[in-house]
Amino acid sequence: MMNAYFITEKDFKNFVSAMVQSLTVIGPVAKRKKFVFAKLESAEDLRLDYDVTLLPPKKEFFPPSQDMVRFEKDKYEGCISPQEKILLGVHFYDIKAIDMTDRLFREKNEDWNYLANREAATIIGSNIQTISERAFWGTVGKDVPPKGHDGFITKINGGYVYETRGDKGEALVKFGSFAKATDAQVKEARAVNENVMGKCPEKLNRSSKEIAEKVRKAFSKEAFWEALAEDCFSCGSCNIVCPTCYCFDVQDNWNLDQVSGARTRYWDACLTEDFAKVSLGGGATENFREERAERFRHRIMRKASYLNEKLGGPACVGCGRCSAACTSDIADPVNVINKIMEA
Amino acid sequence: MAKAKVAFFDFTCCEGCQIEMTNFGDAAFLELLNHVEIVEFREVMSEKTKEPIDIALVEGSFTREADRKRLEEIRNRAKIVIAYGACAATGGVNALKNHMTDYKEDVYGKDAGMPHLDSQKALPISAAIKVDYCVYGCPMDKYELLRILSHLLHDKEPVIPNYPVCVECKRNGTICRYQEGDHCIGQVARAGCGAPCPADGIPCEACRGFVDKPNEKALKKVLIEKAKFSEKRAESKSRIFSANLRSDAQ
Ligand code: SF4
Ligand code: SF4
Ligand code: SF4
Ligand code: SF4
Ligand code: SF4
Repeated sequence: MMNAYFITEKDFKNFVSAMVQSLTVIGPVAKRKKFVFAKLESAEDLRLDYDVTLLPPKKEFFPPSQDMVRFEKDKYEGCISPQEKILLGVHFYDIKAIDMTDRLFREKNEDWNYLANREAATIIGSNIQTISERAFWGTVGKDVPPKGHDGFITKINGGYVYETRGDKGEALVKFGSFAKATDAQVKEARAVNENVMGKCPEKLNRSSKEIAEKVRKAFSKEAFWEALAEDCFSCGSCNIVCPTCYCFDVQDNWNLDQVSGARTRYWDACLTEDFAKVSLGGGATENFREERAERFRHRIMRKASYLNEKLGGPACVGCGRCSAACTSDIADPVNVINKIMEA
Repeated sequence: MAKAKVAFFDFTCCEGCQIEMTNFGDAAFLELLNHVEIVEFREVMSEKTKEPIDIALVEGSFTREADRKRLEEIRNRAKIVIAYGACAATGGVNALKNHMTDYKEDVYGKDAGMPHLDSQKALPISAAIKVDYCVYGCPMDKYELLRILSHLLHDKEPVIPNYPVCVECKRNGTICRYQEGDHCIGQVARAGCGAPCPADGIPCEACRGFVDKPNEKALKKVLIEKAKFSEKRAESKSRIFSANLRSDAQ
């Protein structure tokens, strides 16, 4: 079921208010001069004019730390307890990223710690009103359309067009005074979303397929990777802020009573020194990506080449969060990929 | 399981980490006492033993050759030695003097020559004896101490992060100090504290010391280029808590 509705600017506010009163609504809100996804307390909190959030919305299904099992002596129980929530105002690049993590957490062993939360969520996208300084979503994975969301809001003259994509999106219509959108309004919304694509400050110049092939071939250029990673802190910031990174580490901790406790997973980061350190038994260990250049290369390989086959497009959606997060400013995929493509 | 015999010892320090222990609150502390038996703790009890102990918790740095014997005695009695707090684990803030020669005159003035003020370089206790585990931080993180003790009580290897504070800072969704025109040295600091300082809007000073392989060169570059530090300030920045971990350690 795909329908297009129109709501005036003023009624939109009432629509958000009505949702906030009866549902858990997560949306972009200001944090000093930056933005984060957080629970809306009122319609005024919502900042659809945000550029990009510090952390991607995946944290709503896959939080930075998540209890998986609670135990007490020899009894244990899983911690899956999905909360229904509306994610409102997700940009299209983050929708693409969520679609990737959806698929990655579903393949082979279905990960219900993620999937249960994901299925309980309704995702409503919104058009990009402000472009972040390091964005390049306009030129990355152009043939991969955003999907998996339940609706999409586009700001046009005088109000918003709301396009639903199925029952979950449709179920929200009752919270606002929506009218059927006219063809002209739908056309205007489409133009808004198309026009913004050419406006990113950074650009990739080649297709995802060309990039995937050539980046893979650059694997053995060791001196090239060493030079790129020279100022790398192995700090993992580029992983932690990335909407398509999905690695985690699992640890057990006991409560003070020493008989109860929890098994918890934490976001992990492949740039950190011990990420690839594995046990060989008997206290011996082996680190199969010991050098920082190897780890730096690995991330670029994953984003630009390795995951392409699985996902049908690059595992980078061009949000630019890694570029902004890297204090040495070496993480920007555009710099690395364009260097490889021009060589 | 039988209660583990635990003893506390202190060397050159401010005893702030012992104070941090008392911040557990009564309930938590009493619960802990169901699992360990404290046989020596100068701050709260007068008994002294010469008995074997399971876990020795040592605070403070090794700053006088005269302390070596006492440290060795502790080592000989203890199955496990834990250095707790920055002073014991890395030399901590005490090591700030290690690259200087005039510190005594500087601090004590005309009393500089008094015999009880004599000390040499401030070193981690691992410079004198074998240390099994460290609880980093100035002061140490009391929950990390609990976590380590808990793992040892269960005969499991405690996990102590070897990744920078940035990992925890980013997980928290904190705005990076550099994005607010400030500086920070969390990129080289060992995580485990949960990055409370940047979350409060102040830079990380690496009170937990460095990760195993800190990129000191890149840190200097970032401090100069992004935080607009002078070369000299950028060069000495990480000395405050990590003098002994720097590549120029004396
Ligand atoms: S590339 Fe940048 S953000 Fe990533 S680990 Fe290295 S220094 Fe940190
Ligand atoms: S690699 Fe960087 S730009 Fe690409 S999706 Fe991840 S954070 Fe965004
Ligand atoms: S580590 Fe810090 S708080 Fe602990 S004793 Fe030393 S100076 Fe004091
Ligand atoms: S504020 Fe400091 S610890 Fe946090 S991400 Fe920035 S450099 Fe790292
Ligand atoms: S953030 Fe840095 S300075 Fe603050 S407690 Fe952690 S290691 Fe110490």
